[in-house]
Amino acid sequence: MQIRLFYPFIKKFGVMAATAIIVILLYQYYGALEYTTKNLSEFFRLTLEHFFLVIVSMATAASIGVSLGIIMTRKGFERFGSAIMAIVNVWQSVPSLGVIALAYAFLPLVGLSGIGVVPALVALFFHAVAPIVRNTVAGIQSVSKDVIEAATGMGMTPNQILFRIEIPNALPVIMGGIRTATAIIVGSAPLACLIGGGGLGFWIFTGIALMDMGIMMAGAVPVALIAMLFDALLARLERIVVSEGIQSGEYQEA
Amino acid sequence: MGIMLSFQEVTKIYPGAEHIKAVDSLSFNLKEGEICTLVGPSGCGKTTAMKMVNRLIPITSGKILIDDQNINRMDTIELRRSIGYVIQNIGLFPNMTIGENIATIPKLKGWDHDRITEKTESLLELINLPPGEFMDRYPKELSGGQQQRIGVARAMAVDPPIMLMDEPFGAIDPINREHLQDEFLKIQEKVKKTIVFVTHDIDEAIKMGDKICLLKDGKLVQFASPEELLTQPVNEFVKDFVGGDRTLKRLNLLKVKAAMSPAPPVVMKDESPEKAKSMLGELKADHLFVVDNENRLMGYVDKEALSKKADEVGDVTRSTDAFLPASSSLKDGLSEIFTHDLGYIIVVDEDKKVLGILTEDGIKEILRK
Repeated sequence: MQIRLFYPFIKKFGVMAATAIIVILLYQYYGALEYTTKNLSEFFRLTLEHFFLVIVSMATAASIGVSLGIIMTRKGFERFGSAIMAIVNVWQSVPSLGVIALAYAFLPLVGLSGIGVVPALVALFFHAVAPIVRNTVAGIQSVSKDVIEAATGMGMTPNQILFRIEIPNALPVIMGGIRTATAIIVGSAPLACLIGGGGLGFWIFTGIALMDMGIMMAGAVPVALIAMLFDALLARLERIVVSEGIQSGEYQEA
Repeated sequence: MGIMLSFQEVTKIYPGAEHIKAVDSLSFNLKEGEICTLVGPSGCGKTTAMKMVNRLIPITSGKILIDDQNINRMDTIELRRSIGYVIQNIGLFPNMTIGENIATIPKLKGWDHDRITEKTESLLELINLPPGEFMDRYPKELSGGQQQRIGVARAMAVDPPIMLMDEPFGAIDPINREHLQDEFLKIQEKVKKTIVFVTHDIDEAIKMGDKICLLKDGKLVQFASPEELLTQPVNEFVKDFVGGDRTLKRLNLLKVKAAMSPAPPVVMKDESPEKAKSMLGELKADHLFVVDNENRLMGYVDKEALSKKADEVGDVTRSTDAFLPASSSLKDGLSEIFTHDLGYIIVVDEDKKVLGILTEDGIKEILRK
């Protein structure tokens, strides 16, 4: 009976702890730790580049994605909505590697370099924007018609309704989209090094090329940790910005 | 009192359905402080008519005047802020606390913090929800009935002279609905708003309305007081809509006070039993009601009680519950008469002072009118 009390804790922390121990052991076993300490300054540079890629593409995707989503729910724009949505959905079904390759191939056509940080950012942005737009639209559409009618009838202007009612009530869904997008970006960011975008992907692909598990893990483990870090941060942020009145139960971190 | 709200030949034709007049040259006037219930079968245009008042639905032709001003000449936002709006599904803002919900329009109007707090608290008190307990809670934590009361409070936040209520109690279970209706009527006695109240329930329309506006296919069939609608229905449709039990409905509407007859002789509690006995004999009655020095009902005595040895009538008085307040409905009165099987029942005021009696004949008399 007693052990039952601990089930939730075992479920929550046990799996995490076990994974962490296995990863640390492997990390040590394959010499990733040794490789990292030997190349510490490069490690810091790659990590910084990685953060840069994630944060910049994330911020652009979130601001443009949310704005686009909001515009699509405004009166008169609904008919463009489904068209934009279709494009966005098709775009998202292109694999990450494909997006990177397309950026490499097509950016030169508009006069930009196909190599370097910019095409990497463009590729990540395009890949992440879809779930944000989709969730913003879904979130705003999910706000009850009665609530909107009450607000209109009381004499709130469309802008007041948007900022005081629609967005706050859609926030949980919008934040969900941003978290999905972040997972996609963090997961795709290592591919950026293929077109010279830098980041921890450099060690991963070097490791694969040299068939050296150590180098590969020296890149892969920090990438995984960054992914978890961003998700935890966003979960925290979500709890701060979403009104208590619409938060439902426990939030999942990690 | 002056005319607050006036419909003048108001017509609504929805685009795409040009052959149907959703509302067909509707005209009526509503005095300040009156509740007008818009009632009729579904699709009769009652909700459309109501929503034209705050311009949620634009008027096709005709005009609506508030305080002699054409609403089409007013700023839409200002107009809506000066009209309280309550809808069936309440529509509280889930992201805001109860306090914030009520304070929405005061905030947009730029009231200062203290004034908003004061107003919110007084409104919560008005609807019988203690501010200390409810102010900071969220809508999801409240029952449907509580939410609807908040909805009403929110609509009254800036003291609008006019309120629009779209089946406000429609989604509430019958027991709570009755309670909310009574509570709202009490509030209305204090605030005296001019109210347009949409309902599909004729009983609710009769109960809540000072005036009833019965609509069919967008046309006004009868505009009358509940009493008039029940006694003088203009045609078969009204008769059918009101229902075969319209006489019984009048019982619900009329108050005991209206059908009351003067009180029969009563005996003071400090009279002697002998005096009471002789009164019984004179009146050829089998019992007498006993009152105290301030005419408050104490109970009754009959021959059997009086045959006991006592100094005062008060000592042998038997208690009774065969009385009811003058503010009760005649329906309750009739029910009490049958319950106690005396042929009549004593009518008292709030202090239990005897006012008169209600008899079956008295009820018949008033229904004949």
